[in-house]
Amino acid sequence: MTELLRRTFGKSVALTCLLIGFSPMRGEDPERWVPARWSGGPLELAQRSKDKAGAPEGAVREAIANWYRADTLDLLKGTPINCLLVTFAAAPDGETEVAQRRLVKEYVRLAHERRLAVLGMVHAGADLAGLAAAANEAGLDGLALDGDFPHSAAADVETAMRATNSAAVVIPLAQEAAAARLSAASLVSVAGVQPNAKDLADEGIRAGPSSEPWIESNIWLVRSFRFGGARRTVWIDHPAGPGSTGDYVRCVADAAAAGGRWIVALDDQLRARLYRNDAEGLAAWRAIANYLNFAEEHAGWRSFAPFGNLGIIFDTKSEYPEISQEYLNLVARRQVPYKVIARNELTSASLDGLRAALAVDLAPAAEQERKLLQAFAERGGLVIAGPSWGGAPADNQYEETPLGKGRVTVYKDEPPDPEEVARDMLELLDQDLMGMTAFNVPSVLTYAAADEGGARVLVQLLNYAADPFDQRITIRLNGTYRKARLFTPENPPVDLDVRNTPDGRTQASAPGLAVWGALLFDH
Amino acid sequence: MRHCYGSFTRRELLAGSALAAGAWAARRVEAAVPAPAAPSSPVSIAKVGGYDEDLVAHFERMFDQLGGLGSRVRGKTVAMKLNLAGAAGRGRRLGVPAGRSHWVHPNVVAALTTVFGKLGAKRVRLLESTFRRNYGVPLEDTMLNDGWDVSAIQNAASIVEFEDTNGLGTGKQYSRMKVNTRRPFIFPSFDLNHSYEDCDFFVSVAKMKNHEELGITLSMKNLFGITPELLYGAAPIPEGASRSVRERVFHYGQAQPPEGVPAEIDPKSSRYEGWRMPRLLTDICGARPIDLAVLDGIEALMGGESPGIPGTKLGKPQLLIVGQNCVCTDAVAMAAMGYNPRASRNEKPFILVKAGHFHPQEQVIPESGTHAYSDNTVMTGEEAGIGTADLSKIDIRGTPLKNAVYSYEEHRKGEAPA
Repeated sequence: MTELLRRTFGKSVALTCLLIGFSPMRGEDPERWVPARWSGGPLELAQRSKDKAGAPEGAVREAIANWYRADTLDLLKGTPINCLLVTFAAAPDGETEVAQRRLVKEYVRLAHERRLAVLGMVHAGADLAGLAAAANEAGLDGLALDGDFPHSAAADVETAMRATNSAAVVIPLAQEAAAARLSAASLVSVAGVQPNAKDLADEGIRAGPSSEPWIESNIWLVRSFRFGGARRTVWIDHPAGPGSTGDYVRCVADAAAAGGRWIVALDDQLRARLYRNDAEGLAAWRAIANYLNFAEEHAGWRSFAPFGNLGIIFDTKSEYPEISQEYLNLVARRQVPYKVIARNELTSASLDGLRAALAVDLAPAAEQERKLLQAFAERGGLVIAGPSWGGAPADNQYEETPLGKGRVTVYKDEPPDPEEVARDMLELLDQDLMGMTAFNVPSVLTYAAADEGGARVLVQLLNYAADPFDQRITIRLNGTYRKARLFTPENPPVDLDVRNTPDGRTQASAPGLAVWGALLFDH
Repeated sequence: MRHCYGSFTRRELLAGSALAAGAWAARRVEAAVPAPAAPSSPVSIAKVGGYDEDLVAHFERMFDQLGGLGSRVRGKTVAMKLNLAGAAGRGRRLGVPAGRSHWVHPNVVAALTTVFGKLGAKRVRLLESTFRRNYGVPLEDTMLNDGWDVSAIQNAASIVEFEDTNGLGTGKQYSRMKVNTRRPFIFPSFDLNHSYEDCDFFVSVAKMKNHEELGITLSMKNLFGITPELLYGAAPIPEGASRSVRERVFHYGQAQPPEGVPAEIDPKSSRYEGWRMPRLLTDICGARPIDLAVLDGIEALMGGESPGIPGTKLGKPQLLIVGQNCVCTDAVAMAAMGYNPRASRNEKPFILVKAGHFHPQEQVIPESGTHAYSDNTVMTGEEAGIGTADLSKIDIRGTPLKNAVYSYEEHRKGEAPA
């Protein structure tokens, strides 16, 4: 595996890693954990044999059965992955479980020597009663519940852990976002989607001439956990592939753009290739590591706050969470920059600096909320509300009425169709009001954020198409910036030509994009 | 908006120039004398490997083959109506810029701008109507949305202007332009953005592609976009009518234009778009005559006018086609696409497959017919006296037609020979 390391990351990098070891992550702040699903061993095979697909065969079986050999840890050298999710418990299976725990215990010891944290994955059906003791015995840093468990399972297991004086964490994996949002945990694992873009016509859907490709993304999902003072650690969990290298790195970038992390999950074929040191597999792994490193090297960007003049008031306790979330998803899809304001954090101060507030999630607005929004409109803001605001039109989709120096737009339907609302944003908000405009981004999503003083604005660009986007992308921002630098995982940073327009805006064009780019505008 | 030249208005000049033959023919019809044959004008075809070739050289050669345009352009305002279908959005096939599928390519536009600049045009104006409700976004932004190098186009001639013609634009009032053909079919005249009147030489720059409802999109169809939605959509929307202005007023005739804007000649005529639209397009071309038709068929969408239509496919005909008569030019283009320019509604590409849920039921198959169809715009153009669609009467220059044919039907179905 030393050879594997050298081939994967080059001699100098491998040597450096060996000399300096890894960051002292284990047992420290889980916020710094970079997780990977690292399943394996006999219990994993037994578990899979119960699945529809049946137990894996051939090279995949061999790789999974032997995954907890010491040399698979060598794969992690040169990557920032420092938290492994290993197969630990499943439906009681006597000897297999005993063998698995013995295997895991030794693997945990080796991982700890490398300052890696290890979480035991617990599959649905596992006997939770003895779990805390078993986790302690194996030296695990925590448990990750994977699958359907009773509502109180995580809390029960955590209580049991604390009863043994263990500080190990308990993380339910792939939670539904709405439920996860209501939990008090500082680290949440949320079920995400495989990021990609599709042509509607290829799906047999007739689309208008201005219809855009359908993009699946998790950027909005990460953002839906990071508003106001909240800075929760978000892990996006979804199975990968089998996919191309581009699919993998897109998963990394899509979760990381807004400050989350994808729980790295390799498909079985890739793992089998890695297990046998296959060159193509190692190249894919190298590319994934490159993206993970890029994300962690720019961890400082996570402290940037969302940029934009539109605030979306988001009811985390909405009766219809899918619709509430869809506003965040689809408005982002239309490249409209926004800030999320949790409904329970709606104050006059939270509206400061904004020029528009999407308040369709307040159905109806409470008296105090209504007063705040009315005052906001009277000061010159735009309030976009559902029909419960009053004055809903009978025919048109929405109607605008002046209020003080501002205006209120009221939709006809309750709840307003998220797709319609998102599309209407481009008409209700002009470029100046939006603050940022992205040009030529059909398969690209943008996420704009600014540093604390607002001197630097970072516009992240993610290409969701399978092929590189080799066309000019132009970003126009309100304000005057002198520099624009493009960062990508593939190449050193490049300074772009900046054009300051007579109306006080700044424009820069990126020449294209493989998957991920970040354009940093600086005063 | 009346610009006088001697004792003539610009409008009268327009009526007296490109469509003189048509107007003259119309008077003859009124006199019950048999209509003369529609006029013909040379058409030039060039095989072009790709958009990176020297398109300026190609256009200069093609213009020479037409007999030269210098005298018509020098010192004049040239306006180009660009085919940027669905221009407000970002609709396109993944990984393929619109310029390579359903919009004209920026390199074609830049090359034309350069050539007109070299020919001495005083001003080049780029025009298109974008489908936006919040009218006022610069047309340049629409182009940026497809990755165009707008600065390069701006610098390609001494004065290059852009205008979104979906409303008044920089004008103070709309220009009323009368249909000067043997006889108008649907509308007697149109109210248009001033730019279509305030130009001396008008160019339709279209993509050479199919159309879901009309079979073909060529230089005549491209002019549909000159009708300002902000004006024509101003009347109340009848119950059950389409939300789309162009569908409501033009395709389906569900609503008349607002008061004060020329109304339909016969509001009781057929409402079937396959009957209406070819005639309406002919009327538009009669109101704003095309001085030069330019067809970008270097790469183009086959099977529909936009990539959101299932079954569409990208083709590489590698063709540029230009001509001073839009009917002649479109007829030659149809032949180059593998179609019979004189095809009837019962022939390809005018036998249509329309997406059912995307069209009102009565627009899928007309009451009077058994299948979805469109009449042939080129033939209605000929009928109106704009130009001939008879290939035997058209002088084709440059690449011989037989060497230019790229069958859209066969290529789309994957049946074309390698």
